[in-house]
Amino acid sequence: MSAGIKRAMSDQDNQQPEADSSATTRSAERHRDRGRRRHRQLPRHLEASINMDELRELVGLINDNGLTDFELEREGFHVKIGRNLYGERPATAPVLPPIEHHAIPAAGSAVQSKPTATPPHPGAHAEEAASEDQDLHLITSPIVGTFYRSPSPTAESFVRIGSHVEPSTVVCIIEAMKLMNEIQAETSGEVVKIYVENGQAVEFGQPLYGIRQT
Amino acid sequence: MNGPRRFRKILIANRGEIACRIIWTCKEMGIGTVAVHSDVDRDSLHVRFADESVCIGPAPSAQSYLNIPAIISAAEIFNVDAIHPGYGFLAESAYFAEICEACNIKFIGPRPNVIQLMGEKVEARRAMAAAGVPILPGSPDAITSEEEGIRLAREIGFPVIVKASAGGGGRGMRVVHSEGELGHALETASTEAAAAFKSGDVYIERFVERPRHIEIQVLADEHGECVYLGERECSIQRRHQKLLEEAPSPMMTPELRQQMGEAAVAACKSIGYSSAGTFEFLLDEDQRFYFMEMNTRIQVEHPVTEMVTLTDIVRNQIRIAEGEPLGFTQDDVIMVGHSIECRINAENPETFVPSPGKITTFNLPGGPGVRVDTYVYPEYRVPPFYDSLIAKVVVHARTRDLAIARMRRALEAMVIEGISTTIPLHLKIMNDPVYQAGNFSTRFLEDFLSHNGGRSSGTASAALTGAAV
Repeated sequence: MSAGIKRAMSDQDNQQPEADSSATTRSAERHRDRGRRRHRQLPRHLEASINMDELRELVGLINDNGLTDFELEREGFHVKIGRNLYGERPATAPVLPPIEHHAIPAAGSAVQSKPTATPPHPGAHAEEAASEDQDLHLITSPIVGTFYRSPSPTAESFVRIGSHVEPSTVVCIIEAMKLMNEIQAETSGEVVKIYVENGQAVEFGQPLYGIRQT
Repeated sequence: MNGPRRFRKILIANRGEIACRIIWTCKEMGIGTVAVHSDVDRDSLHVRFADESVCIGPAPSAQSYLNIPAIISAAEIFNVDAIHPGYGFLAESAYFAEICEACNIKFIGPRPNVIQLMGEKVEARRAMAAAGVPILPGSPDAITSEEEGIRLAREIGFPVIVKASAGGGGRGMRVVHSEGELGHALETASTEAAAAFKSGDVYIERFVERPRHIEIQVLADEHGECVYLGERECSIQRRHQKLLEEAPSPMMTPELRQQMGEAAVAACKSIGYSSAGTFEFLLDEDQRFYFMEMNTRIQVEHPVTEMVTLTDIVRNQIRIAEGEPLGFTQDDVIMVGHSIECRINAENPETFVPSPGKITTFNLPGGPGVRVDTYVYPEYRVPPFYDSLIAKVVVHARTRDLAIARMRRALEAMVIEGISTTIPLHLKIMNDPVYQAGNFSTRFLEDFLSHNGGRSSGTASAALTGAAV
């Protein structure tokens, strides 16, 4: 087991955190580093940073020990994992817009007719709503995942209508593959619109917040 | 292995015509489909016809169709049972297949270790030699010194070709006619290989001047059963990209087909292969066949095999991935008639310069024995970010002559305006006496272009055989 994995912390089992104070300092430094959007993006050549055996060990470790908080850094690769913060996700698909029936092009015709309607996708309603707000700056999702408006189910929302944001303000979390990605505003202004609901699936480019910039 | 389990939902990790192709079979099987797409592909046909869709990134493939976290995240959100990778993109990524496994999503293809093995050319050749499949005389391992290279080249016999172990598509390849050229060729090929494929390992093998490229389609289930579905003739290539394919090969005999097919099946069993796959062979002037490489995925030209064997390869891939036994034996495999496929690219038919843009007029051919696999439609804007294949026109008829006449008729009825396409080039090939005679090698297109006024492929590398998509 690599040294990185040994630094796991677990609230649930009341184990003493094995991380020493230097890990905490490093963690604090990272929190201060707000210069860029802090969503974790797997580098293209992931093989250099983490291999499949380690990834399997990670996931196994989390599952087996019921860990809720886990942080790992090695070779410039930083992983922060939160589990069970929102309870088990329901097995059914998340809430999507209702199925739109679209015309089936005539079969066997020489001319292929163009399909008229788009099937349901996570961003459909949000895009409609956002398209009306031409003068607002849209914060859009940079990844595919599940949107959460607060750091945990019991905590306050990161922002609400009327909140003021700075570029480094964390506005939401998007969970992807059990990893919590904090999304920053990257602009200054006031939150005027919220286009998504807590726990909703979001796609790349989906509007999340409408900001009146200042 | 677990018992059979039906998929409720499949995510298609691809785009374009193959994504549509997979969706069609899923619909026939009653399986739900999830399409992933980049933001510029929002209006693409596969997005329209899938049951659900999700945007996974911006236009560049690295951030969308090659973006593993985005695809896996989408698969989890939509709660899919399996992912079909199509061809290209992540279809031969052992890493992606491993991640699917780790996330309890079935990757529709062979196991990761098998993908890994056949993806590495030196290892693949070694495995094939061990399985009794003829390989081109060549170095068993990567070349470590010029002296070793010269010694081996003398054994093999000049001319030889230096090839990248990790690559294909014509890069990292050099033809060598004499000992004096070998040292320089090893160096430059290795440098090119390192730049293109991250590994500078090269090996050498015999070079055949006028080879034919014949490939064997296999299907293997996860219970050790395997069959071959005949061959495809793929010698008509430009810079290692196939232009048109046909089944059966006009020069094939039943005996040779059986030899090649049985060699492929034996190889599959020895490496533990499952799902669909293709063995690419090179045939020399004496009709001897040699293993070139294996593609551990469905191929672009799979339709010609489907037409003559009356099979649905995507359907078989899905059933195999569900854990079903193959359900038929080699004796059940039939070959009926002749099929030809022309790959229609959005390119200038003479200069081959890509021609993205908006399609204004669009008419698809129909009628007896015509199949078109496409993802474009009238008013559709072909994006500039991806490969230029926009449609495959496939015909099936009783004989090769009838198939050629049918293809000519179908191409004439295929009207695409607003962009340039290679339809005129395919029409010329159908009318070419060398093509009609059926006796051609991979040199065909180079000779054809130089006789027909179009810009010839020209360079020495055009004559090389190797990994062709």
